[in-house]
Amino acid sequence: MIRFVFVQPDGSEVPVSATEGDSIMKVAVDNGVDGIRADCNGSAACATCHAFFAQELLCELTPMHEHENDLLDFAATDRQPGSRLSCQVIVSRCLEGQKVKLPDTQ
Amino acid sequence: MKPPPVLSDVTIEELAKNPYPTFDRIRSMASAVWVDSARIHLVTRFDDIMTVERNHHLFASTNPGSLMNKVMGHSLMRKDDEPHKLERAAVEPSFRPGVVKQHWAPRFRSIANDLINQFEADGETDLFSSFAAPMASLSLIDLLGFEDVAWEDIAWWSQALMDGVGNYQADPEISNRARRASAAIDQAIDHVLARHVETENPSILSSMAHAGHKHSREQIRANIKVIVGGGLNEPRDAILTTVLGLLQNPEQLAQAQANEKLFARAFEESVRWISPIGMYPRRVTQDTVLGDTRLKAEDQLGICVGAANRDTGHFEQPDSFDLNRTASRHLGFGAGPHFCAGTWVARQMVGEIAVPILFNRLTNLRLQAGNSPILRGWVFRGPIALPVRWDR
Ligand code: HEM
Repeated sequence: MIRFVFVQPDGSEVPVSATEGDSIMKVAVDNGVDGIRADCNGSAACATCHAFFAQELLCELTPMHEHENDLLDFAATDRQPGSRLSCQVIVSRCLEGQKVKLPDTQ
Repeated sequence: MKPPPVLSDVTIEELAKNPYPTFDRIRSMASAVWVDSARIHLVTRFDDIMTVERNHHLFASTNPGSLMNKVMGHSLMRKDDEPHKLERAAVEPSFRPGVVKQHWAPRFRSIANDLINQFEADGETDLFSSFAAPMASLSLIDLLGFEDVAWEDIAWWSQALMDGVGNYQADPEISNRARRASAAIDQAIDHVLARHVETENPSILSSMAHAGHKHSREQIRANIKVIVGGGLNEPRDAILTTVLGLLQNPEQLAQAQANEKLFARAFEESVRWISPIGMYPRRVTQDTVLGDTRLKAEDQLGICVGAANRDTGHFEQPDSFDLNRTASRHLGFGAGPHFCAGTWVARQMVGEIAVPILFNRLTNLRLQAGNSPILRGWVFRGPIALPVRWDR
């Protein structure tokens, strides 16, 4: 299991244990973490599972496809350098102990 | 845990006139209710629909006996897992929000303005036939990459296919029309396909022709037909419902006119309030339980997002149109793997272009007194006439 923390917009933290291979979005939904809507349940169509990752982590995460890159421009909260759609990011060892921040609105 | 209760005193005509009282009744009965006249188990609670959409192995879209496969061929809408993913990924480049904004929005804007030019001087019109239907049809012709197709033609093809898909009583006239529409669409594809193969462009036909996963001619035909059938009446109906919601709530219209961004919110709220697709099917793959109800393998479910979008567990005063809702998450575009591929096209076409341009150009737009709009349908629902007037 990989342990990491979701950080809500108000700063509160939700620690989770996740299975390698699941998407970050699925981990959030399975753990009832507020702040991830995931309207399309992982089809990369709705842009409602937006999350922020530490920039130095980005190169180690699942690579971003053009489709996700386009959708991120239309997320309800403005995109930042660490933005990803969490349905497209797979849990891997590099997330151990990391913080995944959630935006104000999806 | 109980088997689905049975509802036998509701007619299809009642559902088509106003499905919401029946939806409320079913929602209070059980997680799934067999409706005799519709010959299907209806699922109406928001949370149950989320459960269904998160478990597509138990609740599949693949449906060997589906009339849709017979009428249109086997499209992505009736597939699951990898086969669905491949065909879905193939069309996505045409539907990306960035592509929609840069490439399609200027086209949609010019279509809307041209249409309004034609009736602006009249002072009154039925927005169904003069604006919403041609707006949705002409936009779809461009999106698909068709050429030399009249909007009236794609509109009747679309209707004929949808009637064919709902033709459970096997009326030979309806089957015949659907066959003719299908043949006409094959011709329209053959007319342009070579050009799209040659030159890559943002149209859906081009995306399919250049997809990483090579499509057979049958796959292209089936998926184009599903988009002709399912990409026309929804934006048409959403244009009309958004206009209706705003005209019936003048204080909200004033708000939107003061802050044009709110037209997008009005569109989203209209899709919740009167969902253009009220119901879509799923098939139970093995004996299971949904909420408080036992289901059997091969049970057919009607997923009533039009009902879930009025679930009091999720929305306060769900029957009223209110663009200021804070809880705005709705199921009007579905959920899960088949979440509407055309969401961003619809948002742009309706909420950012057709509706705001209409209100901007037609001063003091209002409903015609004594000539009420008529709404119809439960599987698909929208105004079938929206007579309006404005100051000349
Ligand atoms: C307000 C307008 C619209 C609404 C409310 C709407 C609603 C929906 C819904 C509820 C579904 C899910 C059906 C299911 O799961 O069986 C769907 C799927 C789909 N929609 Fe839309 N739609 C709209 C506009 C459009 C437009 C304009 C297009 C294309 C030009 C389009 C293309 C599609 C496609 C291709 C699918 C199938 C996706 C798949 O199976 O993966 N839609 N739509």
